[in-house]
Amino acid sequence: MRTPDIRSTGLAAWWVQRLSAAYMLVFVIFLLTTFAIDPVQSYAQWLGWVGRPGTRMALATFFAALLSHMWVGLRDVLLDYAKPPALQRLLLATVGAGLLAIAISVVWILASIPR
Amino acid sequence: MKFSIFRFDPEHDAKPYMQDFEMELLPTEHMLLDVILRLKQQDPTLTLRKSCREGVCGSDAMNINGRNGLACITRLRDLIEPVVIRPLPGFPIIRDLVVDMTQFYKQYHSITPYLINAEPLPEKELLQSPGERDRLNGSYECILCACCSSQCPSYWWNPDKFVGPAGLIQAYRFIVDSRDRATNERLDDLNDAYRLFRCRTIMNCAEVCPKGLEPVYAIERIRLKMSGAGDKDGALDTHPPLSPR
Repeated sequence: MRTPDIRSTGLAAWWVQRLSAAYMLVFVIFLLTTFAIDPVQSYAQWLGWVGRPGTRMALATFFAALLSHMWVGLRDVLLDYAKPPALQRLLLATVGAGLLAIAISVVWILASIPR
Repeated sequence: MKFSIFRFDPEHDAKPYMQDFEMELLPTEHMLLDVILRLKQQDPTLTLRKSCREGVCGSDAMNINGRNGLACITRLRDLIEPVVIRPLPGFPIIRDLVVDMTQFYKQYHSITPYLINAEPLPEKELLQSPGERDRLNGSYECILCACCSSQCPSYWWNPDKFVGPAGLIQAYRFIVDSRDRATNERLDDLNDAYRLFRCRTIMNCAEVCPKGLEPVYAIERIRLKMSGAGDKDGALDTHPPLSPR
């Protein structure tokens, strides 16, 4: 019988984990290649690179992928090991809140970068 | 040969203990079960399940030197001394080497292990081609001994929610059966955070299966079918079983 109080299906989490991992891999390779070919020499150059709309979007997507990947992983750990349902829900909520706070912080930082 | 056997009688013992035995092997004794039954003649209180004595019923599944296996097909000469014999891990213990299989059977029953086909029956047989029948290879051979599920850490943590490798390889057997008409319902039933997706591909199941089956690959095929990312319906691979050492 299916567990009634877990809303997201197993398959959705499985897809999130794999798609986010694929994007992060591609992005990290892209990042390393970019800086190997054209290393950043100054803070102004770094700001110019990060401030580009395309880079900002890619970075935002990277962090969205990272945080959703972290959510699936930590949720898996809690589903396995946190036994009393109330404790499990509390820990899931705490982890969720923490990741949401990081997401808000990332959005704020990216939005504050001058164009 | 030295043996150390798990003993626990809840009616008399405050806690479990390991009992040591030393036995001279007879020329006719080749398998571990032979010695355990002779030990039982010396100590009739030693309790275990056994039946076919040839590796097809799965009754005498136990943990032998840290690895699950069937006592009747575990060769004595392959075993490192002292041979430490324990009941299947993670299952409630009834007495000595006998464990409570209720939860294991509940999970098996939960995957509806029977053909579901409401179509009008044909005049004679419900036909299946040799190719369609071959798709069941590598999954139908499961004897439900519970060696796999009881060696699976994910099953230890959530035996009431995670179906386990044995249940899932049987689910695969019915999903790929051409005579069954409930594939979507079966896949939907397993699409849950716990029922199938607790599998972390640890692969203990394939390692310990006494029939050489590979439940982990059945689980992967079910995942791929659910996701639409693959549709491999064929037989599962098997391998020569790895006995306890």
